[in-house]
Amino acid sequence: MTVAGYQIRLLRRTSLPGWKAALFSILAIVFGLLLFSLIFIQAGQSPREVYKQIFGYAFFNAYGLRLSINRFIFLAFASYAFIIPYRAGLWNIGMPGQLYLGALAAFGVVYLLGGKTGDLSMPQPLVLTLMVLAALVAGAFMGGIAGFLKGKWNVNEIVVTMMLNFIAFNLVSFMIKDGGPFMNVGGRGESFELPEAARAPLLADFPYTLVLVFLLMIGIYLLFARMSLGYQVRAFGKSPAAARYAGIRPFRISVLVFLMGGALAGLAGYHYFAAVPGVYKIARTYAYFGDLSFYGMISGLISLGNPIATLLVALLFGGLSIGGRSAQGKLHLGFGIDYALMGMLMISLVAFQFFYHYQILITKKTVPQSHPTMTEDLS
Amino acid sequence: MPKVKDVEPIELHGDIWKHITPGEVILEARGITKRYPGGVLANDHIDFKIRAGEVHAILGENGAGKTTLMSILFGLIQPDAGEIYVRGLQVRFRSPEDAIRMGIGMVHQHRKLVPAHTVLENILLGHPKSKGVINIKDAEEEVVAIAERYGFRVDPRARVWQLTEGEKQVVEIVKALYRGAKILILDEPTSALTPVETERLLESIETMTQDALGVVPFITHKLPMVLAISDEVTILRRGRVVDRLKTAEATEQILAQKMVGRPVIFDLKKPDVTPGKPVIQVEDLSARNNKGLIALKNVSFTVREGEILGIAGVAGNGQHELAETLMGLRPAESGRILFNGQDVTHLPILDRWKLGMGYTPAERTDVGSIGDFTLVENVAMNYYFDNRYNHAGFLDYRGLRQLTERIIEEFDVATPSPDVKIQTLSGGNLQKIILGRVLSREPKLIIANLPAQGLDVGATEFVQRKLLEARSNQAAVILISEDLDEILSLSDWIAPMYEGEIVDILPAAEAKKDIIGAMIAGLHQEH
Repeated sequence: MTVAGYQIRLLRRTSLPGWKAALFSILAIVFGLLLFSLIFIQAGQSPREVYKQIFGYAFFNAYGLRLSINRFIFLAFASYAFIIPYRAGLWNIGMPGQLYLGALAAFGVVYLLGGKTGDLSMPQPLVLTLMVLAALVAGAFMGGIAGFLKGKWNVNEIVVTMMLNFIAFNLVSFMIKDGGPFMNVGGRGESFELPEAARAPLLADFPYTLVLVFLLMIGIYLLFARMSLGYQVRAFGKSPAAARYAGIRPFRISVLVFLMGGALAGLAGYHYFAAVPGVYKIARTYAYFGDLSFYGMISGLISLGNPIATLLVALLFGGLSIGGRSAQGKLHLGFGIDYALMGMLMISLVAFQFFYHYQILITKKTVPQSHPTMTEDLS
Repeated sequence: MPKVKDVEPIELHGDIWKHITPGEVILEARGITKRYPGGVLANDHIDFKIRAGEVHAILGENGAGKTTLMSILFGLIQPDAGEIYVRGLQVRFRSPEDAIRMGIGMVHQHRKLVPAHTVLENILLGHPKSKGVINIKDAEEEVVAIAERYGFRVDPRARVWQLTEGEKQVVEIVKALYRGAKILILDEPTSALTPVETERLLESIETMTQDALGVVPFITHKLPMVLAISDEVTILRRGRVVDRLKTAEATEQILAQKMVGRPVIFDLKKPDVTPGKPVIQVEDLSARNNKGLIALKNVSFTVREGEILGIAGVAGNGQHELAETLMGLRPAESGRILFNGQDVTHLPILDRWKLGMGYTPAERTDVGSIGDFTLVENVAMNYYFDNRYNHAGFLDYRGLRQLTERIIEEFDVATPSPDVKIQTLSGGNLQKIILGRVLSREPKLIIANLPAQGLDVGATEFVQRKLLEARSNQAAVILISEDLDEILSLSDWIAPMYEGEIVDILPAAEAKKDIIGAMIAGLHQEH
């Protein structure tokens, strides 16, 4: 393409340094925020004020920050759940189903121990361990179905995980709504509340699952950077044929990554419904969190499957979901504007991935442009 | 400044090719220069003249700039500087469409045909006449006439997927001629042909030159081909024209030396090695191809320590399935594979690596390596499971890096560092890394599938020397190759394959090229 004597060309990148990827992400966020300003202006608000409200509440207000961090933990687990299969070239779209099942299993442990009606006699650490294990196993089971079908018969994992989401959604509904075994004594379409011993302890105002986020970050980082298994997953993700040639078994990789991914999504379910202060039950609006988990997928994608970088994006979306809702109430903005803002940022971030793959080269044109031309013979 | 005026090439065409006299310059390149982003100077002021009725070979190793030059001549990429003249008229090709309209035809090494369509449909595809209503009957007659004129045998109604590589090439040539090509660019024209097919192609080219066409084969290896076919040779090295000579004045030695930039030894010294005990015994092995048809039929052979078994054959006669079945990448339909006396027929791939089998696949970029991985990570493909580099599940990347450095040094791999992505390597260097990686495990059996295909003279010599070295170290080698000269010079035993069967197993000392050539073409009668 030529504009005013300058030639604009697109070149495919061969490599992308990490700092550039980070720069493009920041530019994408700035671009998304600027673009969304138009919506605020249209609504008669000053974008500066709105953003001040959103970010101020999300990150600089003690109460808001706690909420943001809880969302952040949830998104971090969800993004790990996406990242591990993603590094094997497989798409886990089943975080909602896996986390529903994780939550159900954790509550199931309490239910079986008689925690629905009274407090538990068992010591708290043991109860918590059992709940977490149950969440991990249930999530892994849900993910494992997709991994097994993919590995055995090459059934599309996107379709399987997505369809399983519907099954899990309705299973939760059956369990917690009126007449379900986990039904709240007061009805209200939500589950029973966890007794004291089953509630996650807080460390300096934050649930202990925050520590798990960082331990898992280190673990996943080591898995892919140092361990043989992580190497095999990466090799399979980059080239299944070459991996097979090297003796890596596709079936094993498919099943393993989905077991791990599912387990981590199960942990996200445990976290939100059993560890966030003030929740401690499977809320009537549980589907909201199923939807929210897709932002974990987005942050995994934007960070190119890097478990450290994804935390920054998860923090941003966690904060925005809290700050956006607060600003909506405070400034009387339209319903759903928080989700719209997150959606805009997501689109912007995904669109800016273009620059991960291409660079734009602008050069001053030197040769007359190329119609097939005939000149008098020069000789 | 000369006046520049826009002319639709379609108008030009027709006029421009009237009254050609043999020997006249029909295509001229002046100062063609192309620098890629990243600074690689692929073409540096390349000049040459193509004359009507002559075969002008462009010779060069991989990375010498041949592909770039070809792409420029065919309008696939634009040069940074330089001019192209067709019969004295300066032209600029925006796309292959322009080049075709100006009478340039291209026969790709990687065929650009639609497999599910018939030969005729492929030839008509993209032709100006095929816009709107096509008179199939007339078109078929024309196509048949062209094929007959140049001695090509091809059924216009056959489906392309049914054709051999040689026949597909014929389709591409006829397609170019049907579109009115006067200058025919042939990319590695004989690389996929049997000796018989090669003979026929040379005859067809002879006819083309009689019709005052200019023929421009681009050739990497196959130097005898250059001598047999061409009138003039332009030799490229590192993007520059290093020499231009009449073929009559050239010998294979001279051409190789100019291409590589140093003298090349043609006769590989094959040291005497006493064969040891059998390493691999294959009994009545059969396997299916990707379409589910039996492609390997009851194959049996034995290879001993210190022996090279050469599997000769034209692509698609079961050699590929044989290699994959031996390594476990393809299930055996029936039969047995014994490795050092152990039945490995149904063993997983990884176990075969661990036992000491090694495989260098023909698909180097898709199977043999992972382009997005560094050299170190690619070397890890054969070591991630090895206790020397895998400590309790953790990989010793420092040790792997040292190993990679040793392979780079021993195999003379041109790379700035072991930490670059392997996709930045040229074909020859990639093959050296793959071979080096596999040989570094000191396997007892090496299955080398087309180890030198597409490599330049220098790298070919190197790879072949390494296989002989492995043989001297008492490894058993199964060499699969479509190049009979390579098979003859390296093997101890030769097994020609045709339609999934091993026709015969001959000791190399008694094998004759023409007999093996007939066997792989299916012309050999059982006695």
